Amino acid sequence: MTTTGEPAPAHDAPVMMAVAMSRLLHDGETVFHGVASPLPMVATLLAKQLQAPGLVYLNITGSVDPRPERLPVSTVDPALLRGTRSLVTLTDLFDLASRGRLDVAFLSGAQIDQQGRINLSVIGDFARPKVRLPGGAGSAALMPSARRVILWRTKHDRRSFVDRLDFVTAAGNVDRVVTPLCVFVRRDGRLEVESIHPGVAPDHLQAQTGFAIAVDASTAVTPVPTAEELVMLALIDPDRVIDSEFAIG
Amino acid sequence: MIDKQTTMAAAIAAVPDGAILALGGNTLHRGPFAAVHELVRQRKRGLELVKTAGAYDVDLLCGTGCAAAVSAGFVGFETLYGLAPSYRREVEQGRVLAKEHACYSVIAGLRAAIQGVPFMPIAGMLGSDLPAARGFQTVRDPYTGDGVVVIPALMPDVAIVHVQEADRTGNARIYGTRFEDLLMVRAARHVILTTERLVDGVTFEAMPESVAISGFMVDAVVEAPGGAWPGGCAGLYDFDAEYLAAYIAANKDVDSFNQFVTERILDAEPMLAAR
Repeated sequence: MTTTGEPAPAHDAPVMMAVAMSRLLHDGETVFHGVASPLPMVATLLAKQLQAPGLVYLNITGSVDPRPERLPVSTVDPALLRGTRSLVTLTDLFDLASRGRLDVAFLSGAQIDQQGRINLSVIGDFARPKVRLPGGAGSAALMPSARRVILWRTKHDRRSFVDRLDFVTAAGNVDRVVTPLCVFVRRDGRLEVESIHPGVAPDHLQAQTGFAIAVDASTAVTPVPTAEELVMLALIDPDRVIDSEFAIG
Repeated sequence: MIDKQTTMAAAIAAVPDGAILALGGNTLHRGPFAAVHELVRQRKRGLELVKTAGAYDVDLLCGTGCAAAVSAGFVGFETLYGLAPSYRREVEQGRVLAKEHACYSVIAGLRAAIQGVPFMPIAGMLGSDLPAARGFQTVRDPYTGDGVVVIPALMPDVAIVHVQEADRTGNARIYGTRFEDLLMVRAARHVILTTERLVDGVTFEAMPESVAISGFMVDAVVEAPGGAWPGGCAGLYDFDAEYLAAYIAANKDVDSFNQFVTERILDAEPMLAAR
């Protein structure tokens, strides 16, 4: 739900997010995503085709560097097994993170605060909530143990980016937060705007964010997707599975 | 060799009201959904469900009054259909207790049960409100003096797991991702397998290392072709998007939900419903 009738950003938000998330991955890193994660799936596959061919792509199906023929909307789907030459378990993946060997985990939150903490548990009281959310899945375990956590959230509004979380489901090693409006980087424990996406007005970004941010005309602009990124993205996700994240409540 | 083959009705009749019940699979994939439908038909009450990430199974058992509590890391239909409507409503109205876990803490609890120890330390959890909200304690490591979060043993009374291939004694092959099924089989007091195909166990002797589950840990085997429907089963069928969309739509009010459950589950011929 958008909070206001603000104009939509001029860019293609799902594509901008997938590309911005992909650029944050480095060659040789071990990268994991869990359930309900079409954007991380596409971003990781894209990074492997561009700057990070040696990235190790791990996911909740237990496949390693899969080459899916068609991209599933459910990111637990056996379609993500195609091309893997071995299988690990979810237990193996949590254990890997616990001993400090998982480089990147993609996680999300219904609410995110300025410290980069997330709430995926409840709106209202934990015991008798106004809204029962799905739960944080592995985030409480992974956020403090993965070396680097990239958060993503397909809605950027004051209900999502809040001054105060209703409940802290997880906290930890958040590095970046990617939204339809900007990329946040966490410095000294606080989220700062690293770059604003093309076509997004600074005052719109501030109005949609429930905590104070420093953003003005001098703020860096996220580079537009390159022709190479767009071509590769269209090959990886021809059916635009990434749009599914923008279709639900 | 003990022949453990039985009917779905008889296998599920052994699940007592109030049982702690672990369900295999993950979200819409290789869950024992035919068995879940039988739990609904037998009108079980007071179940505490255990799962890392649940979807249709957990939601339906909450909506039909079978479940009283859910110990899970995630309950939802991913980006397909979003939040789990019945789970959400039943928790918000106080009829179901959400015992939220990190998925790893479900695993830790099962591992403690498997190893016969009272609790299991786990990494992570720092900075989360979950330990306080759920009563997960921090203890002092007697060797270093550091604090570590410990998860109490989680021993299911019953685990139900759906597999692609099993023999009559409960030896079973799982194709594709095994999820937390092997942990559940080892941790539970009573194990029910439902299987797409019943095979002669002699065929397993050529490659026993490909057999994921040893029959001596299993109590009942039910032949259930299509037993993960309306979820998917790796290598055999995809989840039924049309049925699931109708299920989500039926959740708009109590009458349409009850009508859906009556027509599509209670009055449906079990094995026909299981395609």
